[in-house]
Amino acid sequence: MYCKKECIAMLLAGGQGSRLYDLTKQTAKPAVTFGGKYKIIDFPLSNCINSGIDTVGVLTQYQPLALNEYIGNGAPWDLDRQRGGLSVLPPYKGYKNSDWYKGTANAIYQNITFIKQFNPDYVLILSGDHIYRMDYSKMLAQHKATGAACTVATITVPMEEASRFGICNTNKDNSIYEFEEKPKVPKNNQASMGIYIFTTKTLIEYLEIDEADETSENDFGKNVIPNLLRNGEKLYAYNFEGYWKDVGTISSLWESNMDLIGNDPKLNISDRNFRIFSRNMARAPQFVGAHAVIKDSLVSEGCKIYGRVERSVLSGGVVIEEGATVKDSIIMEDVVIKKDACVFSSIIDSDSVIKEGITVGEENADKNNITVIAKSTTVDKNAASAN
Amino acid sequence: MAISAAGIIFSSLNDNTLSRLTGDRTVAAIPFACRYRLVDFCLSNLVNADISNINIVANYNYRSLIDHIGSGKDWDLARRESSVNVISPFSTATTASAKMFSSHMEALCAMKQYINEIKEDFVVLMDSDNVLNIDIADVIAQHQKTGAEITIVTQKAPSDYSAKRPRMMLSSVAGKITDISLSSSYNEKNPELSLYIFVMATTYLKRLIEESEGYNLNSLTAILLKNCKRANYRTYNYTGFVAPVSSFLDYYRCSMQLLEDPKARESLLWKKESPIFTRVHNSAPTTYKEGAVTENSMLADECNIEGTVINSVLFRGVTVAKGAVVKNSILFHGTYVGKNATLNCIVTDKDVHVSDGVNLSGNHNMPFYVQKCRKI
Repeated sequence: MYCKKECIAMLLAGGQGSRLYDLTKQTAKPAVTFGGKYKIIDFPLSNCINSGIDTVGVLTQYQPLALNEYIGNGAPWDLDRQRGGLSVLPPYKGYKNSDWYKGTANAIYQNITFIKQFNPDYVLILSGDHIYRMDYSKMLAQHKATGAACTVATITVPMEEASRFGICNTNKDNSIYEFEEKPKVPKNNQASMGIYIFTTKTLIEYLEIDEADETSENDFGKNVIPNLLRNGEKLYAYNFEGYWKDVGTISSLWESNMDLIGNDPKLNISDRNFRIFSRNMARAPQFVGAHAVIKDSLVSEGCKIYGRVERSVLSGGVVIEEGATVKDSIIMEDVVIKKDACVFSSIIDSDSVIKEGITVGEENADKNNITVIAKSTTVDKNAASAN
Repeated sequence: MAISAAGIIFSSLNDNTLSRLTGDRTVAAIPFACRYRLVDFCLSNLVNADISNINIVANYNYRSLIDHIGSGKDWDLARRESSVNVISPFSTATTASAKMFSSHMEALCAMKQYINEIKEDFVVLMDSDNVLNIDIADVIAQHQKTGAEITIVTQKAPSDYSAKRPRMMLSSVAGKITDISLSSSYNEKNPELSLYIFVMATTYLKRLIEESEGYNLNSLTAILLKNCKRANYRTYNYTGFVAPVSSFLDYYRCSMQLLEDPKARESLLWKKESPIFTRVHNSAPTTYKEGAVTENSMLADECNIEGTVINSVLFRGVTVAKGAVVKNSILFHGTYVGKNATLNCIVTDKDVHVSDGVNLSGNHNMPFYVQKCRKI
């Protein structure tokens, strides 16, 4: 069937997220719970639909079961379409060869046929591990206006952190003359967000060149982008302003959740003008008992709160029994915190039980000492950070 | 084995006794328990018994009902083979104007064509103003086991029972119904209260429709009374929690009962094996700010609490600003309570705006209702 799309998105969701330790033992990083009722992947998917992009290929590889189940046919994001919509693209065995995705560029390379199906003018490359709200159509408008071969979304980061990112050195008109991946001495603080718009022809051409190069690591940041620059292609930076966070580590995941709460949250999750969609369960409302105290927190449906909750983010179906205290923590789906138990500065993964009177984590621990309790754990001894 | 049954839900036969809440919606679309509408309980009871061919009878004001149900997807009812439909009065080539359905039988007679197309062996008829979480599969199983012609779900009426309008009351001997009457208060002779859930074979429903037309009997109660001595009509005694939403005061009291009575709450809303489904809105979680005080309350998603909320039911997207105190109240979707405002025994309809510093108070026996979109 002929189906022409102006721009399609390819979402790289195969990352293992090994720095999230226990949280990604059984789950791919994009399927990690965030902000109570969301998964990390809800953010790029919602951005797509909010930007008018209705065709998204989701490339999966590592522990895809939970992720596949969550994504389903894309209905929660309105991506269940007759033409386009959401497609899950796992590695596959071909006629001639078969391979796991070797790198970000190789993953897209292996799905060139998928891209061609929609005959798109532009391809948007996204990664599944960032928390941000972004209207990609503005970036696309700039890409078209500049006539660039590739546009790289950038964000201003603190100078002292710049060496952790891919840094774009640009001219006054935002054209990029140099791209440095994790430079020791960064020349500026315009960091690549790992979001690219390519003109399709250029993308396919350079993916083929990259694939032919046996020394390449098949990575966009390390290989493809520098190669485009070397060949004098037109590259532009698109300066994004707004909240953006890579939640690849326990401390950044915790921090980013905390950014949702407080009197003036850094990221206002309930902005109805740019809604984040997610797969919803049919849960009961939340019930708050007569002696409960909830302050500075985000609480989802189906929770039953009888104890004390402060500066915390609670997912659906969490039970906090009487006398229990939860502070500075992230509590995921269906966790039960029993009577008089205390949870401080922790991330408790779903279906775990903290037994009566037990203390998990250290009060007022800093972001580098967050205690993590793995999925479906019954904690019957005091536990604290093992990072 | 899946049960072969179809469902018919009656939405708006009783609109007039709920006047305030049904100003611009039909009974089935009345919001209840933070995130539901009355129809959600009917639909979920049917869906949880694997019944997926469902029709909802609504007289008027059904826009919000149709909007709520959409394609039926949220109840898993958007299927190829069966689905959920709303049936309203219609005109035909021979009758110029559509006549409102004034009774169950009138609606059923008008739907005859649809009823003739039902392939399922059984039908479940239910009103939408009794809120309960009932195992319909078990009712049908008992119906089959006893060989009854009709099984009516009943509840023992409390001795102080009184309703705003006459309800079907009955008496039975060893489960077999012996007498039926209409009464608006406790009736010693017929002490069982019908919950207006009826199970019968589809063929039997067709027979009732013929009788109704033949004898010119519009009242379901009258037909059942006429037959009950000879026929095998039986009761299914339901002992769980029921919220009878037959008047505005009932509505308020039932909502408050859910806060007071953990057993009622658990058995209605938290039953793992029979969840209540509703339309999903993709709202964010509820935010509690620094100064928030919340006690004994039930809240939906996307509320924003900076003030005090005690013994109250808050629907989606309610804001309680700093210094505001909300007590014993029910606040529908999008209600805004301004700074230092105080509400006691208030029911606000959708999108009500209570300005800063305003005091409003009703009484437990006479809660005060604020109309949709009103600014105070």
